[in-house]
Amino acid sequence: MTTISRRTILKGLGAAVALPWLEAMVPSSAFAAAAPGAKAAPTRLAFLYVPNGVNMAEWTPKAEGALTDLPAILKPLEAVKDDLLVLSGLTADKARPNGDGPGDHARALAAFLTGCQPRKTDGANIRVGVSVDQVAASRLADQTRLPSLEIGCEGGRNAGSCDSGYSCAYSNTISWRSATTPVPKEVNPKLVFERLFSTTPSAERVARDARRKSVLDFVREDAVGLRGKLGADDQRKLEEYFTSVRDIELRIARAAKLPEVKAPDGPRPTGVPSSYEEHLKLMCDLLVLAFQTDATRICTFVLANEGSNRAYSFIGVPDGHHDLSHHGNDAKKLAKIRDINTFHMKQFAYLLTRLKSVREGSGTLLDQCVISYGSGNGDGNRHNHDDLPILVAGKGGGTVKTGRHVRYPRETPLNNLWLSMLDRASVKVPTLGDATGRLTKLEG
Amino acid sequence: MRRRFSYLLVLVLAAPLVCVWLTSPSGSSAPARAADPAPAADEFGKVAGPFLTKHCTSCHGEKAKKGDLVLTVYRDEASVLKDRKRWEAAVKMVQTGEMPPSTRRRPDPAEAAAFLKTVRGVFERHDRTAKRDPGHVTVRRLNRTEYNNTIRDLVGVDFNAAEDFPADDVGYGFDNIGDVLSLSPLLFERYLAAAEAVVERAVLTEQPPPPKRPVTPNFFQPRAGRPDNGVRSLFLKDDALSTYTLHLIDDGDYIVRVRAAALPDGAAPVRFAVLDNDTEIKTFEVKTATPFAQGKPPPPFEVRLPLKKGEHVIKVKLLDGFPPREKLGPPKEQPDESAKKEAKPMRGGFPRLPGLHVRLIEVEGPLDYWPETHRRVMTCAPGKTRPEQTREILTRFASKAFRRPATADEIDRLVKLVDGATARGDKWESAIQLALQAVLVSPKFLFRVELDDRPDSKDAHPIDDYALAARLSYFLWNTMPDDELFALAAKKQLAANLDAQVKRMLADPKAKTLCDSFAAQWLQLRNLSTMTPDPKLFPNFTERLRAAMLKETELFFEAVVKEDRSVLDLIDADFTFLNGVLAKHYGVDGVYGDRFRRVPLTDGKRGGVLTQASILTVTSNPTRTSPVKRGKWVMEQILGTPPPEPPPDVPELPADEKAQLTGSLRQRMEQHRANPNCAVCHEQMDAMGFAFENFDAVGAFRARDGNFPIDPSGSLPGGLRFKGPGELKTILKGKKDLFGRCLAEKMLTYALGRGLEYYDRPAVDAIVAALARNDYRFSTLVGAIVKSDPFRLRRGKQ
Repeated sequence: MTTISRRTILKGLGAAVALPWLEAMVPSSAFAAAAPGAKAAPTRLAFLYVPNGVNMAEWTPKAEGALTDLPAILKPLEAVKDDLLVLSGLTADKARPNGDGPGDHARALAAFLTGCQPRKTDGANIRVGVSVDQVAASRLADQTRLPSLEIGCEGGRNAGSCDSGYSCAYSNTISWRSATTPVPKEVNPKLVFERLFSTTPSAERVARDARRKSVLDFVREDAVGLRGKLGADDQRKLEEYFTSVRDIELRIARAAKLPEVKAPDGPRPTGVPSSYEEHLKLMCDLLVLAFQTDATRICTFVLANEGSNRAYSFIGVPDGHHDLSHHGNDAKKLAKIRDINTFHMKQFAYLLTRLKSVREGSGTLLDQCVISYGSGNGDGNRHNHDDLPILVAGKGGGTVKTGRHVRYPRETPLNNLWLSMLDRASVKVPTLGDATGRLTKLEG
Repeated sequence: MRRRFSYLLVLVLAAPLVCVWLTSPSGSSAPARAADPAPAADEFGKVAGPFLTKHCTSCHGEKAKKGDLVLTVYRDEASVLKDRKRWEAAVKMVQTGEMPPSTRRRPDPAEAAAFLKTVRGVFERHDRTAKRDPGHVTVRRLNRTEYNNTIRDLVGVDFNAAEDFPADDVGYGFDNIGDVLSLSPLLFERYLAAAEAVVERAVLTEQPPPPKRPVTPNFFQPRAGRPDNGVRSLFLKDDALSTYTLHLIDDGDYIVRVRAAALPDGAAPVRFAVLDNDTEIKTFEVKTATPFAQGKPPPPFEVRLPLKKGEHVIKVKLLDGFPPREKLGPPKEQPDESAKKEAKPMRGGFPRLPGLHVRLIEVEGPLDYWPETHRRVMTCAPGKTRPEQTREILTRFASKAFRRPATADEIDRLVKLVDGATARGDKWESAIQLALQAVLVSPKFLFRVELDDRPDSKDAHPIDDYALAARLSYFLWNTMPDDELFALAAKKQLAANLDAQVKRMLADPKAKTLCDSFAAQWLQLRNLSTMTPDPKLFPNFTERLRAAMLKETELFFEAVVKEDRSVLDLIDADFTFLNGVLAKHYGVDGVYGDRFRRVPLTDGKRGGVLTQASILTVTSNPTRTSPVKRGKWVMEQILGTPPPEPPPDVPELPADEKAQLTGSLRQRMEQHRANPNCAVCHEQMDAMGFAFENFDAVGAFRARDGNFPIDPSGSLPGGLRFKGPGELKTILKGKKDLFGRCLAEKMLTYALGRGLEYYDRPAVDAIVAALARNDYRFSTLVGAIVKSDPFRLRRGKQ
């Protein structure tokens, strides 16, 4: 996938929703001008997640150093390999049982961006930790209309338990606003679009926001009135309520201050495409648009929920992904897993190519990004959480030296990478989850 | 097969999580008596003490403190009871073999059994005399279904307002668990938008024009008593009628409007009458014929009249028309030349007759029109001042929305919001809208807050009647209480009338949510929508079949509810519901078309949910059946005895063993089970799963799996043998207590919106006993749940 034809792009957008605005908008970004005095382009962070581990034998490059021959799964990234880091040896320790028994899928996703041990519970008192994207979002909240964007291509599981005594909140949610508040992801491209762009005329919006403010004032008092009357667990729910009210108030205040992000003209996404591939592509497009228009600078994107048993018949893998991932070292199953991994990688390549096609300052939008891609499980069969498959793309405004495979000492916390990514977004926090420091060797 | 009870599977014992200890009431510090000299050993001290010393305390002792757990401090029953939750978890781990870990010497089975018996004995003795504890339900946010239904019943229109809300998370198998229903800013933003949309659609700021119901000749009814030959009365002659039947939903003043032109021109005017339900309401004279084609159409003929709601047949009837053709006698001779000039030639020798062209009949009204939703919210007693109206409207709306009478203070604040908006120049109606929006995003609406008149009382006491009404209606209907429940709550008579209300509520169509929400989640039917059977292997699996599978189980469950059947029928029954596509899938003859109908089952192949295609599909892999998943499903959803989870690192089979894994699926699985680590749990799971091997991964019957004949026989631990699914179902049906208990636990979880705890055991026991006394009737189950302590009582803040 070295070049992407217009036809490919439109195909990717779904038969029903060919979005010409995307093409039209490609050349410019909110920080397009490299004119003197122009605002420097900010760093954007995105975190992509794929479930059930990967076929590591076909993922890890043979040698460290410059990326020359890419392994099978990474092949789709050939065109962007100079914008890429393959990081081996990182560990998500808190995805391990550490005494909690089975449930590696739920833990893998819940611990991935938090570096905290999810409390094993089917419902009462869910708790893990604040995720890296939400740390960034809360610090950068006043910069953009949306503090962050959480997207995915699979909604919550509909029934039953998700994984061995863990509430489904864990295996469905990668972003945690507080240790106890999961941030649900948006799976409907139409709604993502509407969140990104004010689809109401600005005069109407101003009037609406004024009314909303008086409603928010009112209901906050309502909530204050309830405070003394409720038990401890209820108080926690009430806190979620207060946080949400505050959040919307801030957003209204920001909307009044920040330039409006105009919705691109032309057709808009109408719903969830029936094809998974089109769905993924459309979400990638929206992520690009979000960064390009500076609607937000932080994004998480879960390509499929952890433990997902989706069948990939359209690439010749009719088996369920999770069932397959318990491959028992069967060569046929491993090949199928590789095919699924490669399919996901093609979508990642698409995203990177799109980001790279947007000019920003003297470079490209991708140059201003740091985008991680990976899984909280190493090998799905073993459910190991060390030596995770992790990629980083984008140069972070020149702070990341890409085009390499770096191997870290065993047990290097994944959270060290997150700390280093936060640094690059100018979010300085002393530590995060189980981080032991910053990740070295990103600069070369 | 131990009854599972300790729902709190928080594995506190081994979790090195500081946060666990922070919220654990007893904290990580050992009970105070830790340092005391050991008291005279009770049974716990005698039996469990040595076990702990031998198997546990080398890791969980004063020194190692693995998982922050020090077991040396528990020396008697009292100390164990103090840390009940931790010990429930400990029992579970020893029982499943999770502890001591496999790296340590395993306790002798008899030794472990004695230990477990002793610790459980401590619990049981305590529970027999313990003060009853109804538990505490965390305030529950309305989930999507509840939000939609509540809005529907609050404003009277089904807006599907929650369509854009993010999915609700699931805990304990259900999506209505207070602890798991979190509120994110994204969701709150959607709440704001939904409140605006709902209020703007339900309540109007300007009176809309009265609705018009026009009907053109093509849609006139054929004349009564004559065959409908497709000809409608556009042109009236003889005794013809133009007829329009409509159903009015409101009393009020209406205008009936007729556009018509007369023929022929000149001579006597043509008269017609407008009839309402055969009563003449007005007669009109048409003096001249104005051809419609020329310029402006003539003004319509109108009559204004009051009409009652209900069916109305509006007729336009020609008066003074010529007699029908057969009464005219034979055709006349050709008319003279002068007549020819005046009019067009006669057709077929008949003279031109006076007639009427009817182009339109229209009913407009009621003239003072407000939509139903608007009236429901805004109607006030006549003769009130604006401020009085404001209070009346807001009191009524907020009291319904909060599911209890709004307080004067709440209304004052809402009124202030309205006054503020009008002071800023808003129209009154628009200001009311604002207050209604505030109600719809208030925590008192979005959460089911149960205000307690004794919030600090640690003793169990009844929740008030309004809270009880809400618990009932959300349990059985997934929506707010209706007028009758509110009325009973207001009179404080609800608690005394539970049986009658349950009966009434189960008979209401809204009780279908027990099927859509409860059964669909309990049986995991909701996962059917995301199953992806391999289209190459299962080309018959179409969307129509998928929909039919779901419908079958829904109708079947509904029949159990509606006919108040025994819940045991869910395991096996002699009837089901099929349509054409599903009957073909099952190989049942004689059922065609899309309509579902009740079909008796006689061949013993199917019957009950276990052999319905929906369940067989959700428990399969995309390319093949999964006896393990099917067996696990039976153990979890039917028997309530879930197998322990597999150890985190299943040892891999050595390569040479793997080479032997050939043969039928059953043979391969049996080879797998040769590994004792797997056999412990898989023996029962697999046996039950293989009983259903005659049904493929989409639930179609088959005699062979590939090249291998299917053997659905098996035996369960304890020696019960079965030849196939029929006999297994008989065995399962015999395990009434287990199934009844499982269903009671699931439904109580759903009804309460929280996971069950050890202290719910007496309540579950009582429900199971009631079921057994009443032939396992469905209504008994529901009745016993709503009368149980955890449903009716609460205790104060902890």
